[in-house]
Amino acid sequence: MAESLTEDDRKINIKRRGNALGIGFFEILFRLFGLRGAYGFLYFVCLHYLLFDRMAVRTGLAYVEKRFRGESKVRQYLHVYRLFLNQGRHLIDRYVVTRKPELFDYQVRGYEQFQSLVKDASHGIILLTAHVGNWQVGLNFLGRLGKKVYLVMRPEDNPAVRDTLKVGDHIEIISPEQYLGGVLEIMEVLEEGHVVSMMGDRSYTFDTVNVPFLGAEAHFPFGAFSIAAAAGCPVVVLLAQKESDREYVVDMSNVIYPRYTKDGDKKSQLRQWVGEYAAILETFVKKFPYQCFMFHNVWSKQKEPVNDNR
Amino acid sequence: MTIGEGENLETIRKKLKELLVKNLAFLSELDPLKIKDDEILFGDGLGLDSLDAVEIVVLLQRNFGLDVRDMKRGREIFYSIDTLSRFIYENTRK
Repeated sequence: MAESLTEDDRKINIKRRGNALGIGFFEILFRLFGLRGAYGFLYFVCLHYLLFDRMAVRTGLAYVEKRFRGESKVRQYLHVYRLFLNQGRHLIDRYVVTRKPELFDYQVRGYEQFQSLVKDASHGIILLTAHVGNWQVGLNFLGRLGKKVYLVMRPEDNPAVRDTLKVGDHIEIISPEQYLGGVLEIMEVLEEGHVVSMMGDRSYTFDTVNVPFLGAEAHFPFGAFSIAAAAGCPVVVLLAQKESDREYVVDMSNVIYPRYTKDGDKKSQLRQWVGEYAAILETFVKKFPYQCFMFHNVWSKQKEPVNDNR
Repeated sequence: MTIGEGENLETIRKKLKELLVKNLAFLSELDPLKIKDDEILFGDGLGLDSLDAVEIVVLLQRNFGLDVRDMKRGREIFYSIDTLSRFIYENTRK
């Protein structure tokens, strides 16, 4: 099993970008100056993080070096700065979407297919998200389906992020840090036909496989696919990209059906499904390079602290 | 499937060990007869992990007709070969 973060790592992460104080500050700015005014302050705040948050810059550079190969150090730092700015905009949007959803336009891809999957979901559905775009916008959107979504995340993860998800409304949390990584609870709610949302780019307690991502071997967890294969449910990839200041596209058109066959061992089949998922993410970040907020070196063999503010 | 007449706890233990070895890649090189009854399943014992738990849940459903809802006491049930066998025994005799 993958080693989990220490308590100190988590405390450090919670103090960083996107904490309750920061979100509160931008809430006030939004009320006073509107969306564009709140965005404007990000230029100063993100410059501060670029200069002083070394861990965020380091993990941001890990991605930038792969996505913008061969560029000078100065340009790479500029890319990280743009990443921070975009992340700030996404964090503000997430707050606004839950309070004033009418301020944004939403397009949804694959909604009818998803509705039909939900209707026939005798074994549940796994919604696989990632730290790209604004996955929380996608999850909040699912509230319209009237379907309960069980979100696999650590209860002690950034509470400010959790609050923006309106947990307790149509979203409930399953902790991956309980006995056996919460798989018994996950299997149970899937069997009841519910939707379980997991992060496909963050291993938590699940093991990983190596798959190509942005031109190098990266480590992605296979837990979601292993569970889906066992439960007999589909994996719907949920991504939500910001197309313009006031427009989001929630994409749930990519569906993977993990079923073990007798050809090849289970691990290689898991690798194939994880590879399909990584390819979907790669297409996304190639199109929206400044909407990749993993802030975790997925290419590193070493278990590194996650600069997690999502 | 329910446990047949005459099948006792010992039979279930044997069947369970065989199923685990046959279905869990991590145990595939083990001889089921050499697995102790009190062997701990996860972590330091047999070394299984949470994803093996997924496979075990499916094995229990397919081979013994047990429901994941019945496995609420996960930590107690999945502790060792013996605790898991007892769980199967008690829940298939009904």
